[in-house]
Amino acid sequence: MDDLVIGMAGSGGDGIVSAGESLIAAAAYEGYYAMMTKSFGSQVRGGESSCRVRLSTRRVHNPGGILDIAVALNWDDFLKFGAELPVSGQTVVIYEAKTGVAPGAIPLSGVTPKEVFAVPIGDMAKQATGTDKAKNTVVLGLVAGWFGIAREAMLRGLAKKFAKKGAALIQANEKAFVLGELFAKEHPLATPRAMDRAVAQAGSKLLTDGNDMCAAAAIFGGCDFFSGYPITPSSEVMQFFTTHVWKYGGAALQCEDEMAGIGAALGASFAGKKAMTATSGPGLALKTEIMGLASIAELPLVILDVQRGGPSTGLPTKPEQSDLFAAAFSAHGDVLRPVLAPTSVADTFDVTVEAFNVAERYQTPVILLSDQEVAQRKETVDPIDTSRFQIEHRKLPTETDLQDYARFRQTEDGVSPISHPGMLGGNYQGAGIEHNEHGNPTASGKIHAAMNEKRFRKLAPLKGRKDLFHIDGHEGATLALVAWGSIAGVCREAAALARAEGLDVKLLVPWLVYPVAEEIYRDFFASVRSGFVVEQSHQGQLYRILRMYVDVPAGVVPFCRSGANPIMPGEVVAKLRNAAVALQQPTTSMASED
Amino acid sequence: MTLESSVERKYLAKDFRSELKPIWCPGCGDFGVLQAVYRALAGIGRAPHEIAFVSGIGCSSRIPGYTTAYGFNSVHGRALPIAQGIKLANPELLVLVAGGDGDGFSIGGGHVPHAIRRNLDLTYIVMDNQIYGLTKGQLSPTSPRGLKTPTSEYGSFEDPVNPLLYVLAYGANFVAQGTPADMPGLAAIIEEAIRYPGFSFVNVQSPCVTYGEEEQQVKAHRAHMKTLESLGHDPADRLAAMGLAQAYGQELYTGVFYRNDTPAPTLDALARERQKTMAGQGLPRERILESFVQR
Repeated sequence: MDDLVIGMAGSGGDGIVSAGESLIAAAAYEGYYAMMTKSFGSQVRGGESSCRVRLSTRRVHNPGGILDIAVALNWDDFLKFGAELPVSGQTVVIYEAKTGVAPGAIPLSGVTPKEVFAVPIGDMAKQATGTDKAKNTVVLGLVAGWFGIAREAMLRGLAKKFAKKGAALIQANEKAFVLGELFAKEHPLATPRAMDRAVAQAGSKLLTDGNDMCAAAAIFGGCDFFSGYPITPSSEVMQFFTTHVWKYGGAALQCEDEMAGIGAALGASFAGKKAMTATSGPGLALKTEIMGLASIAELPLVILDVQRGGPSTGLPTKPEQSDLFAAAFSAHGDVLRPVLAPTSVADTFDVTVEAFNVAERYQTPVILLSDQEVAQRKETVDPIDTSRFQIEHRKLPTETDLQDYARFRQTEDGVSPISHPGMLGGNYQGAGIEHNEHGNPTASGKIHAAMNEKRFRKLAPLKGRKDLFHIDGHEGATLALVAWGSIAGVCREAAALARAEGLDVKLLVPWLVYPVAEEIYRDFFASVRSGFVVEQSHQGQLYRILRMYVDVPAGVVPFCRSGANPIMPGEVVAKLRNAAVALQQPTTSMASED
Repeated sequence: MTLESSVERKYLAKDFRSELKPIWCPGCGDFGVLQAVYRALAGIGRAPHEIAFVSGIGCSSRIPGYTTAYGFNSVHGRALPIAQGIKLANPELLVLVAGGDGDGFSIGGGHVPHAIRRNLDLTYIVMDNQIYGLTKGQLSPTSPRGLKTPTSEYGSFEDPVNPLLYVLAYGANFVAQGTPADMPGLAAIIEEAIRYPGFSFVNVQSPCVTYGEEEQQVKAHRAHMKTLESLGHDPADRLAAMGLAQAYGQELYTGVFYRNDTPAPTLDALARERQKTMAGQGLPRERILESFVQR
C-alpha cells in the first residue's frame, strides 16, 4: 500500500503525541511524505489527547479520511474525538487489553472483528522498562511489525530521543519496541498489509509545522521585529521569533496585551523595520483599532491570525475558518485590507513571504489568515529553493522627494515614498486622524475623499495577481470546487479522486482571499453549472463574500461545517458525483415548477 | 541605519517649532508645555529628524504635530506600546511620548506599569488636566471626587487615580512633576527626564482653560506651587517621594520626586547587547529552512 492513516488516542500522560512525533520523524527521515495533526481538549495536562499521522509515497494534501489503523489506549478518550477519528471495515483496531472490553464488544461500529486486536500494551511496556510509560514505544513496535514501516529510522529516533537519559533507557525502549514487533508477528493481520518503500532520498525532507514555517519565512522575507501576546494556536510564532530573531539583528517583545502587541509592531514599522504580530480570533478583535490606524497611516504590517473555533473563546485548540469576515471587514471606516491564506505547511512559506511583499509594496497592513490545522500540523516539505523568491522593500524617498517632502503625496499608483525617523528631511507626522499630503490633520471632506480613493487605488493591482490563485482541472469543466486554507488540501485530493472517476471537475484555491478578484472568479465560473465552495465554518464565509462581488452561478452552493468536524475528501467526491448526476438529467426543475 | 551626527550643531527652541498652529483654546496649559518641550529639546541638542514623538488621542496628544520631530499621533491610549516598538526597533532615536490623563490613566492605563518595568529609554509626559476636554468636559480618571461635569451632574462618586503614586508604586526610576505656570522650571524637568537613562515620567499639571476649575488654572498654580527642592526633599529617597506624592490633588509640588541613580540597564541596551552576542549564530536568512531538514 502507498498511503496509510493512523489515528491514536489516549489520556494526556500516555505519550500518544510523542508516539506520533516519533513516527512522523522516522517516516520523514526515510523519505515518505507525511502529515501529523494533534487534537486535545483545551486543558494543559490530563484529559484526552489524540494524533493522526498520514504516511504516503506520494505528496499528501490533508490528514486523510477514514483510519487504516486506530489505536485506543482507553475507550473513553478515543470516543471523545468522534468524527475526528473515523473507522470502517478496513480499519485495523489496536487497543489496550486492560480496558477489559472483548474484541467483539468494542464501542466502534462498522469494524471487521478479525481486524480488532486487544493488546496488553501497558504490561508489555512494564515488562520491557519497568514502568508503563513506554506504552507509546510498544505502539510504535506494533505499527512497525504489522505494516513494515521505517523500523530502522524509528529505532534511530528512539536512540536520539532518549540520548540524554542514558543507554539503559534507550535499551529498555528498544526492548519495548521489539516486544511490539514480536506481538505483531505472532498475531498476523487478517489481510496482511505492508507499506511500500519511500521513493525520496533519506534525510532530504523538511519536517515542520505551519507556525514555525511562518516565522522562518518572515525572517527570510526580512522581518526584523515581532511583538505579540501569547494565544493558542499562534504562540509558537512568537516563541520562534524570541529565540531566533536576535541572530539577525532583529528584536522581539512579548507584550502586556493584544493592543500592545500590534502597537509595538506598528511602531517598529514606523521606525522603518519590517514587522509582524500574531494572534488568534479573540486577539484579532482586540487589535482591530490599530489595524485601522495602520491602514490610514499607510504603514506596512503583517498580522498573522491563526484561526480557531469561535466566537469568543470558542474552541481554542481546534481548527475553523470562521475569522474571514473579521479579517476582511473588521475596521470602522472605509478600509481595504488584503487577506492572504496559506493552505499547507509548505505554502505557508510562499504566502508569508508574499504577505510581507504586499505589505511593504503597498504600505498596508496585511492579514495572514492561517488556521489551527495548517499552523500546528506537522508536514514533510520538499526542499524549497529560496532563490526563486523576490523580496520587496518599501519605496523610500529620493533626494528630490526629500527636498519638499510630502509623506502622503498623491502619486499615480497611490503609493507615496515613505521615510522613517532618522532620515534627514523626511520628518512627518504619522496619524490616525485624516491628513493632507504633508501629514497635517484635516477635517476637509474633499481631502478625506481623495485620501480614501488613494488608499483604495494603490491596492487595485492586487486583484490582477493571477499567481495568487491556483486553478487546476479542465478549463471548460461544468463542475467546480472553491476552497481556501486547510480545506484546500481536502479539495485537492477530492478533485483528483473525482477526476479518476471520470468527473470533469476543476478547483480554484485562492491565496488572496480578500479583496475579491472579480475577474478571476468570473472567468473561472464562466463554464460552471454546479459546484461547491467548501469551508470549515457554519456560515461559509468565503461563499458569502464571493456573493457580494461576483455573480456566483446558482448551481454553486456552500458545503460547510463548523470547526472540529473534519470534512473528508470522500464526502466532497460524493457531493460532486451527485451534482454530476443532477446535471445529466433534463431540466426537470422548470417542468416541475407547478 | 546611520544617523546624521548632530553633536556639533546647536539647536534653538524655534528649530523644533513646526508651521502648524495649535488648535488649543487660548490660555490652555498645553501651550506652556509645548514651549517647555521646545526649550528642553534645544537643551538636549539632538536634530529633529532623530526624534520620534508619539502621542495618543486628546487635546494634548496633538503636541507632536507642533514640533519638527517625526510625530505619530496614534490612537487613544496606545502611545506607549507604539513608542516602545519604535525605540526597540531603533534605539538610536530619542523617543518622547505624550498624552492626557485619560490617555495614560484610563483607556491606556494598562500599558503604564509595563512600560515602567520594561524600562526602555523613553520619556513619558502626561498633560494632566483632570478633565476630558476634547469631548467637552466629562469626568477623567484624575477628576476629584464630587466634581460636577456633564457625566456627573450631581457630583462624582469616584476617587481620582494618583498618577504620581501609581508610577512610583510600579517602580518607575524617574518621576517628576511640573506646571506651565513655571515654564522654565518645566523645561528643566523635561530635559532632565530626557537625559535620564531609562523610562522617565513627567506629570504636568496642565490646566484646561475651558472646562477646568478655577483653582486649577495657571494663576492659581502660581500662588500654590512649591518646589520639592524648597521642601528639602532628597530625590534619591523613594519612600519620601511616595509620601509627598500622597498630596496629589491637594498640593502642587514641582520638581523631581524620585530619581534612581543606579538603575538597571535599559531593555533597549540589553536587546542591542543580545543582538551583538548572537549575530551570525543563525543560518543565513536564505538558508533558514535548513534547520527543518529531518536528518
